[in-house]
Amino acid sequence: MELFKLEHKKLWRKNSTRICVLLCLLYCVGLGSFLVYQWMTYGSIKEKLSGHNFDGYENIRNCQEYSRKYAVLTDETLQEWVRDFKDLYAQLDEDRKTLGFENIETVHKIGNSDMHTVNGWLRTLYPELERSDMLGITVMSDYVETEKLTGLYERRKKAVDTFLTVSGQTGAERDYLLQINEKVQEPFSWKWTEGWSNILGNTVSGLGAVMALFLAVTLSALFAGEWHDNTSPLLLTTKNGWRRLAAAKIQTGIAFTLELFTMIAVGTVVLQLVFLGTEGWDMPIQMVKMIAIAPMNMLQAEIYEFAFTLLGALGYAGIVMLFSALSKNHVLALLMSLAAAYGPMAIHNRVPVFMEKIFDLLPLVGSGADVFRTNTFHLFGRYIWSPYLLIWAPCLIGVLCLFPAVRGWARRMRV
Amino acid sequence: MELSVDRLTKQYGRKIAVDCVSMVLKPGVYGLLGENGAGKTTLMRMLCAILESTAGEVFLDGREITSMGADYRDLLGYLPQDFGYYPNYTAKEFLLYMAALKGIPRSMAGKRTKELLEVVGLEEAASKKVKTFSGGMKQRVGIAQALLNQPKILILDEPTAGLDPKERVRFRNLISDYAADRIVILSTHIVSDIEAIADEVLLMKKGKLVSQGTVSELTKQAEGRVWELTVTPEEAKIWQEKAAVANLRHEGEQVVLRILSDNKPAEEAVSCGATLEDLYLYSMHE
Repeated sequence: MELFKLEHKKLWRKNSTRICVLLCLLYCVGLGSFLVYQWMTYGSIKEKLSGHNFDGYENIRNCQEYSRKYAVLTDETLQEWVRDFKDLYAQLDEDRKTLGFENIETVHKIGNSDMHTVNGWLRTLYPELERSDMLGITVMSDYVETEKLTGLYERRKKAVDTFLTVSGQTGAERDYLLQINEKVQEPFSWKWTEGWSNILGNTVSGLGAVMALFLAVTLSALFAGEWHDNTSPLLLTTKNGWRRLAAAKIQTGIAFTLELFTMIAVGTVVLQLVFLGTEGWDMPIQMVKMIAIAPMNMLQAEIYEFAFTLLGALGYAGIVMLFSALSKNHVLALLMSLAAAYGPMAIHNRVPVFMEKIFDLLPLVGSGADVFRTNTFHLFGRYIWSPYLLIWAPCLIGVLCLFPAVRGWARRMRV
Repeated sequence: MELSVDRLTKQYGRKIAVDCVSMVLKPGVYGLLGENGAGKTTLMRMLCAILESTAGEVFLDGREITSMGADYRDLLGYLPQDFGYYPNYTAKEFLLYMAALKGIPRSMAGKRTKELLEVVGLEEAASKKVKTFSGGMKQRVGIAQALLNQPKILILDEPTAGLDPKERVRFRNLISDYAADRIVILSTHIVSDIEAIADEVLLMKKGKLVSQGTVSELTKQAEGRVWELTVTPEEAKIWQEKAAVANLRHEGEQVVLRILSDNKPAEEAVSCGATLEDLYLYSMHE
């Protein structure tokens, strides 16, 4: 324990560690959360649509206020929303005609209306109502015939079914996925969704890619740095020698990963609570993506994505420590570690499907946003919904890396 | 306690770094002398069991040291030639870290660290980062870490490198006190350090142990082979080329040469008392 504490202190004493943590926090919490909430994504639209104002906090409250009145997603509330939206759009046209320009207040109201999400639902559930001659001219909710927006939940079931057929998921696989889908509770509660959509689609699922860089920089020197510091003769001639030190280094690597993750997660969640509050936590994730099959609410999905990132980060830490232990040069260990994460990420979408599925299992390469998908793995004659496997496999890979890391380091230490 | 080295050999490809060295070491200070590349560091690393020998073995009280594992390392203190340290650690933190590696309980480690920092004269720099230290200060941290576990076998590779004369004296006194019931092996190019503290001198040349004995025993080997000769500066240059000149001293217009030679090099040469350095230079010149 003492050795672990000192090894841990040693890691934190390095300037590179402190700079990495600071940059990581600045990027994830400062840039990725604060500026996104207050300005880049949720700031109200400036006049002449030239960017966003620095008023995200107030604007988010307006957005939440707008959606609050619908409360539950039914045929009636959907129709009501479309009617309201059409009124706003008509008002915008009227302003253009009478004033000669768009009234910024109306623009803000439209921006606050969750229009991207609802138009996504309309395209998914009512594809026959989409007019090809209107694509790119206006949004579907502006022209769709309101009274035809009926049978929402039946249509959702049909859309899931159609999607599975189009994806080639048939037989037992299809039954398995539909079984999961049956647990989705209806009707869906309806609050402002775009905040949650961004959290689950970008903020949390994107943390892994950023963490990979900073974990690689920090942990690649954990073992390999001993060569740089030329301390191996000292370590080898001590009673505890390399064996306990290797254990202390691995504990340090894991502890650092947990600490970095905790700092980022706490920072992100605090800003989320400040800007978005807790409203909408109990909405089903289908409000973000209608054909998602997971019976989860927003909070559960967020916890899944954080857990996915944490376990992926721990798995990746294992890989970085393996490279660090096998290499005498920490720069080489760093390059190999970066290649292990960003290499598969870069070619992920350009490889055959079976390769893509294998890449998804690699730490921090897959995405926690897979919770919205209908992928499966076929193992030992059983179908497993991919998120069940994707969350554990990266961590397991990391754990498996630790054994060769210790053995490899021990072998290389003998000079 | 007895450390026996039995025909220890280390070969790198065609080069033999240590060639069939045998010796028996009992408590006391052993000074390892030899020019660069003589095999001193290689021999020390094998004695520390961090370098595998090509042939031969090392026994501690009859037990082969590599088979003793942690038991042997627990008895060992080692200061490598190129002492590596953690630049961002303070001297105190570094020693605490090494104490943890040496399995010293935390309660004792703090006390021992404080004591040793005082012993090596770094008590005031205890909280400063090692990277800010001068070469001599770093070397003193290295000496302190080697002494942390009060080792029964202390192996110091060039411990006085970088130390100023005052610190060298402090170090010599420290080792003399320390070696009462312990085996201390130290290598250095500074012959006077060995002369001052070594109970026995081990002279290595091209991987072989060429001489072993006390300072006076070895000095005797050089008796009658050390001469002083006073010449002109021009003649001094000629003598430097044709004889082993241990020292050269200007006295007015003349130069006094200290020549190592089996025979009287010149009629005017005067025989003088030998030192360990003379023997060392004589052995290396052969």
